[in-house]
Amino acid sequence: MRIAVCRPQVPFAHGGAEVMTDALVAELRSRGHDADLVTVPFKWYPGARVLTQAFLWRLLDLDEADGQKIDLVIATKFPSYVVRHAEKRVWLIHQFRQAYELDGTELGQFGDSAEDRAVRRKVQTLDRIALGEASRLFATSANVAGRLERSTGLVAEVLPHPPQDLDYRCEAYDGFVLSASRLDRAKRIDLLVEGVAREPGLEAVVVSDGPDRGRLEALARDLGVDGRVRFEGRVSGERLAELYARCSSVYYAPHDEDFGMGPYESFLAEKPVVTTTDAGGPLDVVHDRQTGLVVAPEAAAIAGAAAWLRDHPDEAARFGRAGKAFAVEVTWDRAIARLLS
Amino acid sequence: MKVAYFSPLPPERSGIADYSTLLLPELRRRVELAVVRRGRRRPPRGTDVCLYQIGNNPDAHGWIVEALRRTPGVVVLHDFVLHHLVAGLTIGRRDGHGYLAAMEREGGVVGRLLGHAVLDKRIPPLWENRPEDFHLAGEVLDLATCLIVHSRYVHDRTRAAGYEGPIRVVPHPAWPAPAAQAADGVAGEPLFGAFGNLNATKRVPQLLEAFARLRLTCPGARLLLVGATSPGFDLDRRLQRLGLDADGLIREDYVSETRLWSLMSACDAVVSLRAPTMGETSGTAIRALALGKPLVVSDVGWFAELPGEVALKVPVDTHEADMLTAALELLAQRPDVRTSMGAAAAELARRQHDVGRVADLYAAALEEAAGGRRVADAVLGDVAQAAAEIGIEPGAAETGEIARRLAEVELGR
Repeated sequence: MRIAVCRPQVPFAHGGAEVMTDALVAELRSRGHDADLVTVPFKWYPGARVLTQAFLWRLLDLDEADGQKIDLVIATKFPSYVVRHAEKRVWLIHQFRQAYELDGTELGQFGDSAEDRAVRRKVQTLDRIALGEASRLFATSANVAGRLERSTGLVAEVLPHPPQDLDYRCEAYDGFVLSASRLDRAKRIDLLVEGVAREPGLEAVVVSDGPDRGRLEALARDLGVDGRVRFEGRVSGERLAELYARCSSVYYAPHDEDFGMGPYESFLAEKPVVTTTDAGGPLDVVHDRQTGLVVAPEAAAIAGAAAWLRDHPDEAARFGRAGKAFAVEVTWDRAIARLLS
Repeated sequence: MKVAYFSPLPPERSGIADYSTLLLPELRRRVELAVVRRGRRRPPRGTDVCLYQIGNNPDAHGWIVEALRRTPGVVVLHDFVLHHLVAGLTIGRRDGHGYLAAMEREGGVVGRLLGHAVLDKRIPPLWENRPEDFHLAGEVLDLATCLIVHSRYVHDRTRAAGYEGPIRVVPHPAWPAPAAQAADGVAGEPLFGAFGNLNATKRVPQLLEAFARLRLTCPGARLLLVGATSPGFDLDRRLQRLGLDADGLIREDYVSETRLWSLMSACDAVVSLRAPTMGETSGTAIRALALGKPLVVSDVGWFAELPGEVALKVPVDTHEADMLTAALELLAQRPDVRTSMGAAAAELARRQHDVGRVADLYAAALEEAAGGRRVADAVLGDVAQAAAEIGIEPGAAETGEIARRLAEVELGR
């Protein structure tokens, strides 16, 4: 089949959605499909720009490419699913969250003006129309599916996606806690940094990059823990696999996350996850005292959980192995079979 | 965003006053509300959008229509047919010319002539015997920037009447059923209840006839009639003719809200008939759903849109009394049907008519109405500018394509 995988592009940014869609294209190709990635830059501000930029997708003609029919499109996150196609399938990573659950929070975008309120409603209308057109609708987690149903009434099948392809292995439980999330505020890495300050002897390694990096490094300096919190920036796949292989636990506690590959990557390295009760998608697979520790979204609780796993390597290993039993079930073979069925 | 809210409110005795009392606390949680004092015709300073609750009672809604004339806004159309309202605001205020103008606007010369005949008392009032032929909603529709309606029926009628603005179908909110005890001494095997004014529009003659027939096969059945008897409706004579006495009939006049709930709680099923319909939603039927009572309704308007699992629908035709008798017999003889219909009714009230959900839908409609035009202008401006910059002129084939795509996702005007 000729398949177009649709994904918006935020120039110079690279995160979970990019990893997932790149992998999807590669996996489709490896199964003999003629797959390609279709991207359009996306800027969601100011004012009504979110709508005009989303509308660009509506003008695309993906019926054919170079005279050859495109059999199927797989759209992923807002606004790529605004695209038109007779066989549009949506594997929803997330909607435009600023128009939904983030509205009115510090992560929201829309103010109280009549125009801002109306833009937000138009985004919701756009979602109802564009997602309602899909011939099949999947969501990457129960959290994403739940938000979708609450906001639009549309029901999606839950279909988690496998994490990025790394040389996952478990070599040791060396005592440090690893954070591999993108450095933006929603990932709440500041709670981990503050937690390290409260828990003498606890060490953390923070990899990846993002707009919150400067603030986090300054926070670590101010708290006097820059020796115990090491920022490594964006690292290679080999280095990331090595860190997964040797950490004692993985910190993954964004607020109301869509899906989150972090737990799956952690589990494939047989490492437990420290997350929080309000983390959203990760709670599909991180179960307290079974595959990790689920605590209150507070620095002290997070530090206490990471320290406990450091001090109890047998339990950490047991939780990690239990998590692996979940993670190995999430394969590209299964995901693609359902997507194309 | 600030919303000016125009509605009758208690202590006015009006179904829409009760409706607003239920809705306002939830709506306040979602938008900034300024409830406009009765009689004021201008919204408060800083208002982004006005919301007008429009029903057919000229005393309760006359000042609201006058405010709407000054400041167009979002109209909640509780009835599609507004003939009674318009008659009250014109003939009721000795403004015969206003009535003639309204009739002419809708019915042309024929309408005007009929209006004259009404004014001269040569024919009965049209709002009593032909309201559906002359809805007289035209002025209100012209002034509405967005409509909120409670049924597809009213949606379709307003579209057919030429309204081109946005219409939001929002369910009527359900009152949370109070933990009221069923009224003492009010019972039957089973007990049917009918609530509201007693008149021909509520199909009381047909109900009495059907109930009298039911009593032949189910002598334990009783009918509870609650509400004032409309002028000119000779209830006693009808009861006498049908042989319905205190053994089969329980009668209460206008009752308090508390008493209403306890009486309805005592019923095994509620009958809520209507014809002709003005497009209205029945507060009685909504309360019955909230209490988990099976319904018998007329198969018209909003009532016809109730799911079959909660309501038996009786067509308004020559077989009406026969069908109504059959519906009453089914409910009288099958407690299991009553139970399953009641459970479905309670679920429907919880799922569809939850007041929080209704307030969410109101907030969405208000927010779109307040800023939607400016947003549409911004989007169209952006797209038009980009098109012009690469030489796509108005009227070009590409422009039509862009307009179609915008319309598909409701981003056009």
